[in-house]
Amino acid sequence: MISHLRAPGWYRATFWTLVSLGLSWAILWAANGFDADAVTGIGFAQVALLAFPLFFLGGLGAFDYWFYWASGRPTRPEDHSGHGATSWQDYFRINTDHKVIGIQYVVTSFFFMFVGGLMAMLMRAELAAPGRQFVDPGAFNGLFSVHASVLIFLFIIPVFAGLANYVLPLMIGAPDMAFPRLNAVSFWLLPCAGVIMMLSFFAPGGSFASGWTAYAPLSVTAPPGQICFTIGVQFAGASSIATALNFLVTIITMRAPGMSFFRMPLLVWANFSTSLLVVIATPFVAASQLFVLLDRALGFNFFNAAAGGDVLMYQHVFWFYSHPAVYIMMLPGFGIISEILAVKSRKPVFGYRMMAFSLLAIVVLGFAVWAHHMFVSGMQSWIRVPMMVTTAVIAVPTGIKIFSWLATMWRGVLKLDTPMLFALGFLTMFVLGGISGVMLAMIPFDIYVSDTYFIVAHIHYVLFGGSLFTIFAGVYYWFPKMTGRMYNEKLGKLHFWMTFVFFNITFAPMHLLGLQGMPRRVADYSEQFATWNMIISVASFALGLSSLIFLYNMVASWRGGKRAPANPWNALTLEWQVSSPPPIFNFDHIPTVVGGPYEYGVPGAVHGVFESPATASAEARQPAGAVSSTAKE
Amino acid sequence: MEAASVHHHGPPAANRSSRVHPALLGMLLFIISEVMVFGAFFTAYFFIRVVVENAHWFPIDGVDLPVGVASVNTAILLSSSLTLHWAQTSIKNGNHTGLKVGMLLTFLLGATFLFVQVNEYIVLTGEGITPQSSAQGSVFFALTGLHGAHVAVGLTLLAIVTLRSFRGHYTPEEHDGVEVPGIYWHFVDIMWVVVFTTVYIL
Amino acid sequence: MGEETVSEQAPAREQADPRRDRPVHVWTLVAIGLVATAIGIALGFAIDWFPVRGSTQADDIDTVYHVLVVASVPFFVLVTVITLYCVWQFRERPGEEGLDGPSIHGNTGLEIVWTTIPAILLIGLCTYAYVTLTNVEEAPAAGAPKELRVDVTGQQFAWTFAYRGLDGKPVKSAELVLPKDRSVKFQIRTLDVLHDFWVPEFRMKIDAVPGITTSYRITPSKLGSWSVVCAELCGVGHALMRQKVTVVTPERFDAWIRRKQAGGMAATGAAGGGGAADATDQAAIGKTLFAEGNGEATACGACHTLSDAGTSGATGPNLDEVLKGWTPAQIAEAIENPNKDVAKGYTEGIMPANYGDTLTKQELAALVAYLEKTAAK
Repeated sequence: MISHLRAPGWYRATFWTLVSLGLSWAILWAANGFDADAVTGIGFAQVALLAFPLFFLGGLGAFDYWFYWASGRPTRPEDHSGHGATSWQDYFRINTDHKVIGIQYVVTSFFFMFVGGLMAMLMRAELAAPGRQFVDPGAFNGLFSVHASVLIFLFIIPVFAGLANYVLPLMIGAPDMAFPRLNAVSFWLLPCAGVIMMLSFFAPGGSFASGWTAYAPLSVTAPPGQICFTIGVQFAGASSIATALNFLVTIITMRAPGMSFFRMPLLVWANFSTSLLVVIATPFVAASQLFVLLDRALGFNFFNAAAGGDVLMYQHVFWFYSHPAVYIMMLPGFGIISEILAVKSRKPVFGYRMMAFSLLAIVVLGFAVWAHHMFVSGMQSWIRVPMMVTTAVIAVPTGIKIFSWLATMWRGVLKLDTPMLFALGFLTMFVLGGISGVMLAMIPFDIYVSDTYFIVAHIHYVLFGGSLFTIFAGVYYWFPKMTGRMYNEKLGKLHFWMTFVFFNITFAPMHLLGLQGMPRRVADYSEQFATWNMIISVASFALGLSSLIFLYNMVASWRGGKRAPANPWNALTLEWQVSSPPPIFNFDHIPTVVGGPYEYGVPGAVHGVFESPATASAEARQPAGAVSSTAKE
Repeated sequence: MEAASVHHHGPPAANRSSRVHPALLGMLLFIISEVMVFGAFFTAYFFIRVVVENAHWFPIDGVDLPVGVASVNTAILLSSSLTLHWAQTSIKNGNHTGLKVGMLLTFLLGATFLFVQVNEYIVLTGEGITPQSSAQGSVFFALTGLHGAHVAVGLTLLAIVTLRSFRGHYTPEEHDGVEVPGIYWHFVDIMWVVVFTTVYIL
Repeated sequence: MGEETVSEQAPAREQADPRRDRPVHVWTLVAIGLVATAIGIALGFAIDWFPVRGSTQADDIDTVYHVLVVASVPFFVLVTVITLYCVWQFRERPGEEGLDGPSIHGNTGLEIVWTTIPAILLIGLCTYAYVTLTNVEEAPAAGAPKELRVDVTGQQFAWTFAYRGLDGKPVKSAELVLPKDRSVKFQIRTLDVLHDFWVPEFRMKIDAVPGITTSYRITPSKLGSWSVVCAELCGVGHALMRQKVTVVTPERFDAWIRRKQAGGMAATGAAGGGGAADATDQAAIGKTLFAEGNGEATACGACHTLSDAGTSGATGPNLDEVLKGWTPAQIAEAIENPNKDVAKGYTEGIMPANYGDTLTKQELAALVAYLEKTAAK
């Protein structure tokens, strides 16, 4: 037993978590002058929620190497025991292999997708008719707040990090990420953030209910469940900053020989741009929630107007992160679409350099548009017009991307399988989201529709029709690489058509509802909106069901799908040149890049070559793959 | 685990596609992130000092910020950057005594800074300026407190480096353990100059 | 990279198979696109998107929407038509497995076109939106009737309205009554968290922000009765924070104001008289408090229907029905501790729990006296 508690793992993690709870109590006890009665439950919760993830991670073994290194004890940089996974249990350990971490990320974040989706189902059940059906207004406010927070912070942002974690080092010809141990920490912070947010449902007064925007001063005066958001965001944010930093260093310092910046696949470019946004913007959301926490826990006056605080400051700080966050949730998807459209149209990406530059343009402009969320916030009115112009201008690089994708397909040989269908679905749906976005940039129109269902429709066309469609496309596209199995094409297509049809029936009418004057974030609405809400609710249940097809397809195919060849899509990028799944260390020899990543239609074009031509073919890679299964004895 | 290395030869060494050392680049990016955290706090400062209706700054209720003490404290912190630099140069030249003395001095100067800062808090609280008393107080304590927390983290790193230097862990060839925390400490010092200027001087 | 590098004759992967060559029906595509655009724009005008246009500002804002629809439809049609055409014409047919498309890397001319045209269009839209914005926010012209000022105060979870700058006493009310064709400027404040003052029929909205006063103006252009809606999440009662707004003719408005001023004067006068007021005065003060609040305490009538006081709020229980047979002690308890015993079907925490602080002892007594008297009827 003692040895269990000393060795890194779940026993020690549990033990250290308990220690952190005791320690939190002891700190408060001491801070209150050793008066046990003065320690409040909420005070304890605040300290414990901040402390336990670090102790849990420590117990799990995330910091062991660094402790050894800092204390000067011998470390073994050549120890690759944390690489590869031979059984499902390996996915529940600290693992430094980017491929294992990628799968951990994707599976965990999809778990949160189902959690968040379930909350959406409950909300639609409540909204199916006017009046009260299943939940009271307080619980309803809690549902939409947790729904949005979970899907944004624990699904869309990390699932992109997960997909990129898996394929990005392979794509640039690196054996792993630059900081594999930091990578593991990034991942394990995520379930901690998830647990914290879920815990809010057990808080007195219910889960946090001031929206994912958590506007002060409502979030300052809200019931204690609110701290689960303020603290959960700290860990989710730390996780995404650490991952972004890791991506940037990996991309800058670990590209294969010959892989110049303009030979990088666009997915790499997309994650490079996204990571820049994360590193620069995410500290702002952490700070905004820290202010709320200080106001709540220690009686600070950041948002107390009576004491000279400024309420609108919260919104400026919050949106300075949260608008770039929209691009954090979209740019990696752009990368995925560029990969898929080129491979599935059998043509080079049209205007590759403009595709890369437009990403960077979005990064730069993305920092200059935040206040378009605040046209009716009561801020200084002169800020509005410059923000309207920048917001409209940011549509230009986005338009360049859309037109370039269309040109990429033009005269190609389109293979209409599931990833491609989702990519095409993305293209059409995202245009709608983009158009309503430009409409919303126009101040007079925004004054009318902000805080209505038009906004709900817009955000879902961007994040569901946009981001989620690219996520599905990416998951289907790399599923053979990640699992070594083929998914079921028929079920995949069924999933696409159900998603596409019911997505539109669910969210398109919301535009109309918003224009007719239905405000968002309401548990109840007037009779005139009843018909459309019933239609939306029914369609949303069908949309929910469609995700079960996806779940079944993924689970069944992973367990018993057809074995995947190394390169089922006949793609040129490096990740497809190694076995499926790739060998434990990705490459026996680092490949040399000799051409662009999308030279389809160019006779004899190759992107990368391996040192010995014999090892470049998929069959010859098999022995390396076999090593991976015996390596963890 | 030992058996594993028999079966495979480990990963191929990654290609170095940039002259910048990955650890150094990582630390720089981390510092960019840190600068943005301070940026958010300065945004709060800006709104509460400039934007809000009836905006004002210290003196509040006749209490002024102790600029004199803070200036001396600034000098103390800045000199710790010099001693740190001396320690780093020493180990590069193989001078272990210089490393030890330099690290110890750096640590003590940093600790003095923190000690004076805590004292200043106690004095101000006694005069009625607290985070709870006004938004200006909140911003003052939050900004200096955020910086203080960075100093505390930096001191922890310095303590480790100092201890290890006394155990003779670093060599002229292998001293990343002194360099990387050093970058962080220099950042903390520079950040203080900005905090000091905006909060006390302007 | 920019130039077009077409290797038409270049064979694909399989050397033996020539590049397949499919006809491209450009003119058919253009025709389909034009028809689809026409249908889309027609739909955009045919669908009844908006509620009644209740203000002159609504006309401008609805026009912005229609202009945006006209500008947007062609883009959506362009993307959809090309996508569907690619799917139909360029899809991989049996026997084409392993074929590649032509290796077109780009076309500088095209890229310049699809960068500049959207940019010009967007800047044009911005200019137009800016002009409209100045129009809808413009103060009334010199010759127009004097602008009405209404102070709007939000509280969890009700609005109160105070009319300023009238001839005579200011008027407070739980119901918003506005004259047609006269510009009105709302000055919006809040007592607690963020709210947002919105009447969909007027189109304009703005947040109520702690610490500052926000404002906008509208000119009602239709007679009618609609809802004041809170559009910014403000807590558990957000969905229920609804009140009535009525637009009447200027004559009826003036009459309403005079009636209010008469009632309000009596109440204020009596309250000033101190504790000596008799039972009738007590009830009169109570009635005023019920219908108007006292500036700090939100009017009861904002949420409760009580026919005697002429209020029609629907957020809380209908007091015409539930009050029957209540003792003064019960009434006082329900006002001061509303969450102790919440009526069936209503949610705890919706009614402000601070009436014990915002009402003086005398005011509370007056309110209870009024409600008891009304309940006994």
